[in-house]
Amino acid sequence: MHIPDGFLSPLVALSLYVISLIVVAYSGRRYFREGGDIYYLSVMAAGIFAAQMLNWPIPGGTSAHLVGGALDGVLLGPFGGCLAMFMNLLVRCILMGDGGITALGANAFNMAVVDVFLGYLIYKVAMRMSGGRKFLSGFLAGWLAIAAAAVACGVEIGLSPQFGYPLSVTVPVMGAWHLALGLVEGLATGFIVSRVGGVGE
Amino acid sequence: MRRSYLLILILVLVSPIFGVIGADIVGYHEPLDVAAEMIGLGESEPVWSGIFPDYTVPGVPDVIGYVISGLVGVGVLLLPAVLRGRRD
Repeated sequence: MHIPDGFLSPLVALSLYVISLIVVAYSGRRYFREGGDIYYLSVMAAGIFAAQMLNWPIPGGTSAHLVGGALDGVLLGPFGGCLAMFMNLLVRCILMGDGGITALGANAFNMAVVDVFLGYLIYKVAMRMSGGRKFLSGFLAGWLAIAAAAVACGVEIGLSPQFGYPLSVTVPVMGAWHLALGLVEGLATGFIVSRVGGVGE
Repeated sequence: MRRSYLLILILVLVSPIFGVIGADIVGYHEPLDVAAEMIGLGESEPVWSGIFPDYTVPGVPDVIGYVISGLVGVGVLLLPAVLRGRRD
């Protein structure tokens, strides 16, 4: 899901840099103003980074690893989750070249904004509708939010003429593929949330 | 608190079993890179390849490079927690 350099048109890349930086800055304000502690951001970002290193190989030449945006959002709240995920993406981009530096805004939008905020929202709605079933709510949050992040990724590369395929191809391919891969994300999110509990629970 | 540090350390130490050895067995390629190659984008050089390009350390076996890059990544992210400690 980490978009490399050269996939996005300058307009798409730049617009998403602006949007993501605004959301990250606003999240920083809200998180620290509401008494958030950098300690939790640091530990969660490192913990999810380590979990992501466990790249589960899937026969056929691909693999699935945790993205963790929804998990961050549920455990830290949307603002803290956005910050922790952004720290993670920044370190991957700068240290490992995982996710292009020109695509950092887009990757942050998909994984630190869409995955985190939507994951948090789905968790809250599912908790209310299911009468507080944490595993189910965490599963739905992890699963559906990662599929939505993949659709956002599909829209971004589909809107960029540099990537040879139109939206009608990129969106269904990214969306369908991550609805399948996202089941793992959902199970992991549901399992951890059912053990630890979401923010404020 | 110490328990979470220990868990993170263990995760990184076992990670090459999945991220390097398992990936070699199935012939892993990042899906977006495969797509890029299919449409001839594969040759485009990254603007910045990182200090540990693709989780490797130049001149070091992949398994060890993966662990080193993982430890450095985790170390950087944990720095605020280690320096500041928990406020409450």
